[in-house]
Amino acid sequence: MSFLVAAALGVGLFVVIPIAAHLLRRGRVRERAFPPAALVLAARSSARERARVEDRLLLLLRALVIVCLALIGATPFVRCSRLSLARTSGASVAFALVLDDSHSMRAEGAGGTRFERAARAARELLASAREGDAIAIVLAGKPARLALAATTDLSAARRALAELSESDRSTDLDGAVGLARSTLAGMPQHDKRVVVLSDLAAGPLPEGQPPLSVPVPELTNLRENCGICWAERHGRRIEAQVACTSAAAASGRTLSLTGSKGAASVALSARSGVQELGLDADPKLERPELELNGGDSLASDDHSAVAAESAALGVAVVADAANASAETGGAPVLEQALAALQSNALVHPLALLPDDPSELHGSALVLLDDPGGITPEARSALSAFVEQGGVAVAFLGPRAEQTPLGATLEPFVHGALHWESTKAAGLDDSSLSWLGPEAASARELGLHGRAGLAAADLLGAKVLATFSDHQPFLSERTLGRGAIFTVALPTSLEPSDFPLRPAFLALLDYFVREASTRRGVTQSIAGSEWLFPANANVAVDGPRGKLAPSEHAAAGGAQKAFTPGLAGRYVVHIDDKREDRVVTLEASELTTLPQKPPNSAALAREGGAAGRVDASPELGFIVLLLLGLELGLRAYRRRARDRATSAPARLSRAG
Amino acid sequence: MSDSPPRTELRRALDWGKLAPLRLHAKSVADGVYAGGHRSRRRGAGIEFGGQRNYVPGDDLRFIDRHALLRHGHLLVRQFETETDRTLCLLIDASASMSFRGDGAPAPKYAFAALIAAALTKIAVGSGDRVSLDWFGGERTVELATAGGREAFERVVGALETAQPSSDLHMDLRALERAVARVERRALRGSSVVVLSDLIDLPDGAIEAVSALGVRGKTLVALRVLDPTELSFPFTGPVHLRAVEGETRVETDAASARPAYLAALAAQAHAWSERLVARNGSLIQASTSDDPVRTVRNVLDALAGRA
Repeated sequence: MSFLVAAALGVGLFVVIPIAAHLLRRGRVRERAFPPAALVLAARSSARERARVEDRLLLLLRALVIVCLALIGATPFVRCSRLSLARTSGASVAFALVLDDSHSMRAEGAGGTRFERAARAARELLASAREGDAIAIVLAGKPARLALAATTDLSAARRALAELSESDRSTDLDGAVGLARSTLAGMPQHDKRVVVLSDLAAGPLPEGQPPLSVPVPELTNLRENCGICWAERHGRRIEAQVACTSAAAASGRTLSLTGSKGAASVALSARSGVQELGLDADPKLERPELELNGGDSLASDDHSAVAAESAALGVAVVADAANASAETGGAPVLEQALAALQSNALVHPLALLPDDPSELHGSALVLLDDPGGITPEARSALSAFVEQGGVAVAFLGPRAEQTPLGATLEPFVHGALHWESTKAAGLDDSSLSWLGPEAASARELGLHGRAGLAAADLLGAKVLATFSDHQPFLSERTLGRGAIFTVALPTSLEPSDFPLRPAFLALLDYFVREASTRRGVTQSIAGSEWLFPANANVAVDGPRGKLAPSEHAAAGGAQKAFTPGLAGRYVVHIDDKREDRVVTLEASELTTLPQKPPNSAALAREGGAAGRVDASPELGFIVLLLLGLELGLRAYRRRARDRATSAPARLSRAG
Repeated sequence: MSDSPPRTELRRALDWGKLAPLRLHAKSVADGVYAGGHRSRRRGAGIEFGGQRNYVPGDDLRFIDRHALLRHGHLLVRQFETETDRTLCLLIDASASMSFRGDGAPAPKYAFAALIAAALTKIAVGSGDRVSLDWFGGERTVELATAGGREAFERVVGALETAQPSSDLHMDLRALERAVARVERRALRGSSVVVLSDLIDLPDGAIEAVSALGVRGKTLVALRVLDPTELSFPFTGPVHLRAVEGETRVETDAASARPAYLAALAAQAHAWSERLVARNGSLIQASTSDDPVRTVRNVLDALAGRA
């Protein structure tokens, strides 16, 4: 505390003056000579009482005025529980508010949820911003999003803040901090800050500049919680994943079906972390839901909708085990590769491509290895599957030129296809760079042959990757809501060793993710994007009403995107078709405990975003108000005295 | 009679306020009230016809107006004015309460009473009447036997200026009775007795004692002189009041006590008035802020039976 602060606060000691005057005044009423005193009735108690009340009011007002004046003198040095921007040099500040809207921020505390406390802190910081300050708002729910690009329009920032709401997303603090820093990078202000309003239930805060400030450390207080991450139905059996922050939170709690009397329940193990539980349920029960008994700091995740049986991503693999398997035997290479991805995809091996579209209903991705032609019925079924959001991939091989009469390779390629030898060493890794660092592994493939794809054969498809001699290797064509990919190599090891390269697994993973995104799994994590064709008539009803779509720029053109942020059951209407989807929680969001802010963030808090409040305007207003009240009270007393004086005069005149 | 202290000391002792000097003010007031000869207002047997009034039992049957009785059927009594002189007996309250002067008042009650007494003296002397002066309470009071002429006025004014209101009479009925007895001895039938007092802090029985002056053909007027503060009770908030005579101390809330006080003051005046009227007397109430001329006129009217 500086001398100025001490001196200003010392003014507050003058509050003893009105108190002493009050005590002296109250101590003794001045005695007056009055000859007819014998005619006056004594009324000591009422007189004292009235004087006490009026004097106390005046004393209170005067004491408050002195205290306010002392505080005005001391501000902005006085610390206050309200957050504000401390300005070391008085210049404008550019600051990014990283507001965590993840599921863990919904935990209830003494003053509401963590998110509400964080939003309140953000509003307080915004209130202390001045003209010229730049503000950006970044949301730390996965994926990190920019809710408001850096702007000096404070009213726009307030509006953007008011529109934010909590969600069930996972935490992406790393991405949010990175986004905030990159947003501030181009701002002209010299003083830049990143304010993190989060429970820090994620990994360690990333180091870097500008430094991070964690002005509300109470958000990181531990709050016990158990929640249902997901629940799936498999016939009579319902499987669920439950995650708890601690053993205490799990102790004594059971999982049961909501609203079904006498249904079996299963007790949670008294331990922290993730546990998977199973329950038997009536197969006729429609849209069942699970609940955890007891209470904790987060009630919303104690209930969960149960996803349908086909919740997992179905992948249909059409491969000839004789040709598409390794020489050592075992399942076809594609199936083994899918298992290696650990994508939780449900593989359906098929001997032939089905003629009936309903047989592909449970699948989102169809992989054809070295197809020897597609019959018109199968072609029709496949086209219908793709148009409804499926993804079909053909790995073309030597059998491509042996198509029987009436069979073609449409919808992958048009016309006859030739298997050709090539001198290309491998793939052009630069054309495959979008795949990631694994693309380099496809530079040398030991090619013995390839499917000769001419541009005219690709039916307008877009070439995504080429061989080193620039012949098409991978093409993509959008059909309806789905996509068709054509690969110029089979999964057999004879023509090349491509299936042995990391690029093969990366490519397969790309197909799985594409299928997952396009088809839309019936069960997805909160914050995952659901994409639909731009021309499709799509409506999504969620727990809080209809979701608003957004435009999503994709390689194949703009798409309609919906991002459900809350866990629960959603109904998706795509044209005339209805789908039930369930949005779930990520287990790590429940099990990751908040961490204390690092010292560097605490130091930043001292001199950074939070701290001292210039409350002079408010205090000045209060002083004016108090002075007005005192004047009013004194005027009232004077009026009462005048009235008392004039009344006897009237009486005497009347007499 | 008490010793007379130096005049300057007395003037320091009592603040006469706006009424000093008394002599000049008294003359001024008297001039404002009455200029010229004063006719004695006593009605009864005499030479000059003075009007008629309704007959009341006990009237002398010789004075019944027969003509009026025959003409109108009403019993009227004929009155006559006598050209006789009349003694003005002044009895002045010089107790301590008369020294009270409230905030904003022009002078103490005693000063106002002295001014009225001096003006009455001036008028009486100017009309050829004689004047006597008696006191109850006070220090350095000088009692003056009945006398007339210019010297009487000077002596009365001197005595009024010399007196010092101080004593506590609220328990001393004997002192009051002694003063009343002196006045009774001086006042013959037809005399006018004027009592100037605030009628406050007088002992029990004071009403009976004073009203006894109204008997035996004497005209009694009691002029009650009060301070404006006493008439209005203008205090606010908590007040701590102390009587000037006696040990009475009252702590009260002014607003709540005011109505009861005013009612008590009015009841006291009513009691005095009722008793005095029964003894052929009257009560006049005046404030020290009132116009002295009007007050003197009121006294004269009361003495003439017109009040």
